[in-house]
Amino acid sequence: MAIECLVLGAGQEVGKSCVVVTINGKRIMFDCGMHMRYTDLRQYPDFSLISDSGDFTSSLSCVIITHFHLDHIGALPYFTQVLGYDGPIYMTYPTKALAPLALEDYRKQTERRGEKEQFTAEHIADCMKKVTAVDLKQTIHVDKDLQIQAYYAGHVLGAAMFYAKVGDAALVYTGDYNMVPDRLLGAAQIDRLQLDLVISESTYATTYRDSKYVQEREFLKAVHKCVASGGKVLIPTNALGRAQELCMLLDDYWERTNLKVPIYFSSGSTIQANLYHRILINWTSQKVKDTHARHNAFDFKNVKSFDRSLINAPGPCVLFASPGMLGGGFSLEVLKQWAPYEENLVMLPGSCSTGTVGSKLMSAKIPTQIKLDENVKIDVRCQIYKLAFSAHTDAKGIMDLVKFLSPKHVLLVHGEKPKMAALKEKIQSELGIECCYPANNETVTIPSTHHIEAGVSDAFLQSCLAPNFKFWKTNVGSDERTPPLLQVYDDRVSQGILTLQNPRVISQNELRDVLGLENHLVKFDHCCSAAYDSEISNAASDWLPSTSQRNSLLQLLFGIVSRDFPDCIMHDCQKGIQVGSFVASMCSREECPSGNADALHFRCTWSATDEELAWKVISLVKNVKLSSASLDSFRVLMDF
Amino acid sequence: MEQRLAAAAGGRNHNLFPKSLNAVLSLINNPCTSDSTLTTISKTLIFHLQNPNSNHQQILSLLSTLSDHHPRLHREVSAAVNAFILLPSIPIPALPHALSLLDPANSAALDLFSDESLFLSLCFYECVKTRKWVLRNVSKFRVRPSVLLTILLGFTMDPYPYIREAALDGLVMILNDGVVVEDRSLVGGCYFRAAELLFDADSSVRRSAVSAVSEWGQLNVASNPDECKRDWSDALFLQLCLMVRDMDVEIRVAAFNALGKIPTVSENILLQTLSKKALLSTKEKIYPGQYTEKLTKIPATAAAFTFLHGLEDDFFQVRRSACHALQTPTVPSAEFACGTVDILVCMLNDASVVVRLQALETLHHMASHGHLKVAESHLDMFFSILIDNDALIRSAMRKTLQFTKLQKLAMFRSCIENLIKNLELYPEDEADIFYALYRIGCLHRKFVVKVIQEVSQELEPSFDGKLGFNKVRTAGLFVLAISAPVSLERKTSSVPPQIFSYAVTLLGRICCGLVDVVDENTLLTYLSQCSRFTFTSTSENIEGGSLDFGLKYNRIHLHEKSNKVSSPSEILGPNEFTSPVESHVKSMSCVKIIFQKIVDLWPLIQLGCMNEVARTLRSWKEETRLFTRDSHQPAGVLVFAMNYIHTIKLLGNAWAYSLSKTNLQLKGMGALENLLGKMERRLTEMLYRLACGDTCYFEEYMRKLDFVLHSIEYLHKEGSVEISRFVTELQNASREIGNSEDKAVDMPDLLLNSLSLFSLQHIMLSGELKHLDAEVDVCGNDFRKPLPFIPGLPVGIPFEITLHNISSEIKLWLAISVGERSTQFVFLDLNEFGGSDERRKFNFVAPFFRTPIVKHLVLKVSIVMESLSEDRNLKRCNRPKHELIYLSGGREVHLSMVVR
Repeated sequence: MAIECLVLGAGQEVGKSCVVVTINGKRIMFDCGMHMRYTDLRQYPDFSLISDSGDFTSSLSCVIITHFHLDHIGALPYFTQVLGYDGPIYMTYPTKALAPLALEDYRKQTERRGEKEQFTAEHIADCMKKVTAVDLKQTIHVDKDLQIQAYYAGHVLGAAMFYAKVGDAALVYTGDYNMVPDRLLGAAQIDRLQLDLVISESTYATTYRDSKYVQEREFLKAVHKCVASGGKVLIPTNALGRAQELCMLLDDYWERTNLKVPIYFSSGSTIQANLYHRILINWTSQKVKDTHARHNAFDFKNVKSFDRSLINAPGPCVLFASPGMLGGGFSLEVLKQWAPYEENLVMLPGSCSTGTVGSKLMSAKIPTQIKLDENVKIDVRCQIYKLAFSAHTDAKGIMDLVKFLSPKHVLLVHGEKPKMAALKEKIQSELGIECCYPANNETVTIPSTHHIEAGVSDAFLQSCLAPNFKFWKTNVGSDERTPPLLQVYDDRVSQGILTLQNPRVISQNELRDVLGLENHLVKFDHCCSAAYDSEISNAASDWLPSTSQRNSLLQLLFGIVSRDFPDCIMHDCQKGIQVGSFVASMCSREECPSGNADALHFRCTWSATDEELAWKVISLVKNVKLSSASLDSFRVLMDF
Repeated sequence: MEQRLAAAAGGRNHNLFPKSLNAVLSLINNPCTSDSTLTTISKTLIFHLQNPNSNHQQILSLLSTLSDHHPRLHREVSAAVNAFILLPSIPIPALPHALSLLDPANSAALDLFSDESLFLSLCFYECVKTRKWVLRNVSKFRVRPSVLLTILLGFTMDPYPYIREAALDGLVMILNDGVVVEDRSLVGGCYFRAAELLFDADSSVRRSAVSAVSEWGQLNVASNPDECKRDWSDALFLQLCLMVRDMDVEIRVAAFNALGKIPTVSENILLQTLSKKALLSTKEKIYPGQYTEKLTKIPATAAAFTFLHGLEDDFFQVRRSACHALQTPTVPSAEFACGTVDILVCMLNDASVVVRLQALETLHHMASHGHLKVAESHLDMFFSILIDNDALIRSAMRKTLQFTKLQKLAMFRSCIENLIKNLELYPEDEADIFYALYRIGCLHRKFVVKVIQEVSQELEPSFDGKLGFNKVRTAGLFVLAISAPVSLERKTSSVPPQIFSYAVTLLGRICCGLVDVVDENTLLTYLSQCSRFTFTSTSENIEGGSLDFGLKYNRIHLHEKSNKVSSPSEILGPNEFTSPVESHVKSMSCVKIIFQKIVDLWPLIQLGCMNEVARTLRSWKEETRLFTRDSHQPAGVLVFAMNYIHTIKLLGNAWAYSLSKTNLQLKGMGALENLLGKMERRLTEMLYRLACGDTCYFEEYMRKLDFVLHSIEYLHKEGSVEISRFVTELQNASREIGNSEDKAVDMPDLLLNSLSLFSLQHIMLSGELKHLDAEVDVCGNDFRKPLPFIPGLPVGIPFEITLHNISSEIKLWLAISVGERSTQFVFLDLNEFGGSDERRKFNFVAPFFRTPIVKHLVLKVSIVMESLSEDRNLKRCNRPKHELIYLSGGREVHLSMVVR
């Protein structure tokens, strides 16, 4: 059995996340995003790879959306309304609430730009009607075999990682996640699961971010310095998420330092987003949750809404404006006005997609000129500050998550190729976990666990119930100085035997009966000569030893042997002596295989387990000399 | 019903039907059921219990309800159950229930719990529930530790997670119960098994595994030879570092708690915890341990960012625990401490008060070990904390500031300004702020001089001649000025001397703040003395050595004369909010740590680095003193610790003195003898006042030495102490001196030779120390309200006496002295006064006979104890025959002639 992963988007790139996973016959699409760089059909994943016939509803078991960012959900209305997918769609409650906002925002933008829109407002509304909202850690049975579960992922409000399980094969698709809590959201939280595969984002596959306290301090320092010298601060952010976090940070700082400089929020949607955050308090960070009964963290004391006329008002201020990457809209408008003045400051987000004004600013050396289009250029003399905050986890976070989950395989998506290669190396060498990062439209096959049902015998079950542990001392490593390590083994399961035909586990004792075999015992036989002195030999040469004499010789031997082997016993019928399974008796000459007539012989038999013991006894017998004197004295002893 | 029951008992029915079971249960629960019925019920049930065919579980649960509701039947039930367990036919599943019904006080039950075969059969019974019960109640069984350990270790392999969890908890419990495991491979086995379970799928198992790894890891470190100890300690640290990224909050908290317990970690690993990227120093290093489920080598880089992850955590519990864990490693590594300050300062801004407080405590801890280097950028954060809403936080911040060395004058200035701002905003903090100002001033004397010069205008009276010192700011500045350096010898001061006289006007307020340092009278003397000094603007003329000698002397003096440091104007410290028990545990552990560490100081003393040592000792003493503030009656242990620290200081001084030959030659033995004398007084006090006896010549010393040696020999014979090499050497030396002809010449050399063998040993306090203390008071008497007397006639003085921990066998005297010379003793017969040894309070009218012919008379009264063991004939009657130990500070009693 295998898990098949078809990467339709975000393979070795960032944008249009979409992975279709086939797992034990079930097909799940994780995320259905769009690529923001393109405006034609290239912005969507190549859905035709899923099904040639175009009947997506029957070829997919379900679609799972991790969060409301467009590169994770952007193609969904198109997929459902235009391409006609009609199966189940799952996302968390906040995602379901916030996704229409984000989609509508995007649709309006394209409308404004005069581009051809791929879906309409009705499409969005109809699409959302098909969505089933899920709660965190709620187990959803999509059908009889497939079950899914959402886990908190941080990143943005409502972001989730999804666990999917079919039969014995299980995987986790992380979506975007953050392993460090920020002011607004908590860190990703998941259980230790038995997993075959983890599909993880790897946006910052090689970045190691500094502690958030340092980031916050530097951000505040930069803002404070600017407003203290009378400058204006422009913070281009998207309406949801980052804006709220920075706002909380600033509001708090304003309170502490008693600053009176106004903080503005530009767009109405930001205010709406604040509202959503307030309602969805359960999805925010622990601190917001803990304090919201007393004080709602989104009731900002120093924040006002912005009026266009304030753009050129004198005096310092801080302004949050969307969109985040300065790709157009209000933030770009403000930038045009503020950029030419040295005292002003623009806070750029950590990463800007190439081609946007944001990315140009990031690489520019101030002062400079930036070309917006053929006719419009802006002089940039203001200060530029790059925000170190990010809602994505860094390389350490990815490693920590992979290490915690310890899956059998890791598949990386949502990142840049060279960085993914570096991370793959790290995962393989450090954690010993197989890792790959397929490109778009590639399919990767990953082996998965498959369990076979086997019956158990009662005896085996019985033996499994009671503890049965053993201790061994083993030498670890080549270092001789370290003492051998004591290890514990519980053998109750490993002592079972699996019979392959009609799979069944039985205990070792039952094996013979089950196979219908007889028990065979290997026995050793040896004729051992004992030296004796001439008197006995004279007496023995002309007669066959009588029974009584035999007995006394055996007694003599017993006396000798029992000195060294205390557990030696004399047989009842006095045919021989026994130590363990070793038995020695007088050898009658006719039967004796050695046929040596000169010596006194004892016939010895033993089983394989007592071999060592047997040879010890034999060597003892061989080395003694039986004398008549000792025989006599023995007789005397016996008489008494 | 009763009849039916009786019939059931008589008819010997084998099974009780469900209906009758319900009836029995309701009868048991009904408070109106008659005693005879209950007796019948218990008899019936007990009878059925012995029947192998009955349903034992049901009967046992009925019996347990019965004995719960009717305690008088408890013994009967217990005995019956005991008999039931001893039946050969007892079904094992019923055993746990039966065992839990036994009376633990009963000796027969004890036998059952110490029956190993019973224990083992329960353990290996095939029912998981039974196994779980046994593991959860493992502490009740008294089986050999080796058996227990083997069983527990084996059960860590169990397929059931709660059995694994219970087994791990059991392993921790064994160690906490003080079982000694010496087999290194066994210790290693337990440690590595626990480490494997750190990767268990079940979070409760992981949680238990963290504490098991911590405990067994420490034992593993201890059981390895010295040269590997550090590596194993590092390995343990790294092993626990892995758990700080667990998804379970409790596990993270437990992991940080465990990390904070590891005393020694290599510095490069500690530095790695501050950086996410692999450092060069740790890059290639690997340690034994469990890295993932399969990999058994941990790279040193696993420690990356450990503490910062904790400080960044979403849950305040984790943040607090991480803050706390930082305390231990910041002590040995200054570089690490330096790196953590930056981030700890950020924690001062945390939303949670608990975290802020813990961060401050950690900073305080660092500061008291001299590792807190404050940069200018941190100060803003520090000072914003001074105006925090929370009194606890403010107080903790001030405590930290007291130890902080500020590099620049500007920093010092803003520190003072902010403390005064704190004072203006929160006048209730006054006493504490004054103390902080004084301490900071003492630490930055040169800055004090400059600051006072800057503000001296403010401190002058306004031109209409009125002293407008009601402003809190002025009061604060006066306190700061008091800490300015003066030279008593040359009678010069570095700040305008009139400031001292102005300060006198605020004497009461200032004194409240400095109550730990000085008493009112001394301060007054000091201030009035200083106000007559001449002003030298160049502070360089005044050397640090002879600075505020008066204050310092008084501090020691004060400490000697009274052990109660608490005062009504006590400052609210964080300790005030801890319960007495908790604070006792805290103080015990603090004292234990001090005893452990004091041993490490000995090499420093031997090298003569007394300045270092004195500083450390002082900080310890401060810390100990913090605990004594909690209660009016400080625990014996604390008093012992303070005395011990003081003794070590004196010993160190004496040692340093004797070390330098020139000193000896120049100043002779006088100073050394003085020091030794002080030390001896202190030791005597410790010996007699903490229950579980002079300066002299060499002969006298020898006599004492012999006495001490004899005592040690006696103790040795009793088997309670081992004789160290130093003592044997000393015995030899004393024997040689005895034989030597020219004693005076040989003796010092011989003694000095043996001294080189002396070293401090770690003191282990095994039990509770009781501090013998006494207070004596005369109600309402002070210089304004004197008692009347007629000169020349005896006078009766009513005393109020409180005794702590003084048993009636001790001979107590009241010492009443006039001036320095004549002292009258009054015997206190404790048997007359009743009360318990722990605390006795009584009124006692003592006569004073020899009243001199004066108008006013001041008597000094203290309670003294006779030390019984050391014979010293004082050869006078009506007074103690043995050496005296002062239990209370001298109380002044004012008497005034009766005016007709």
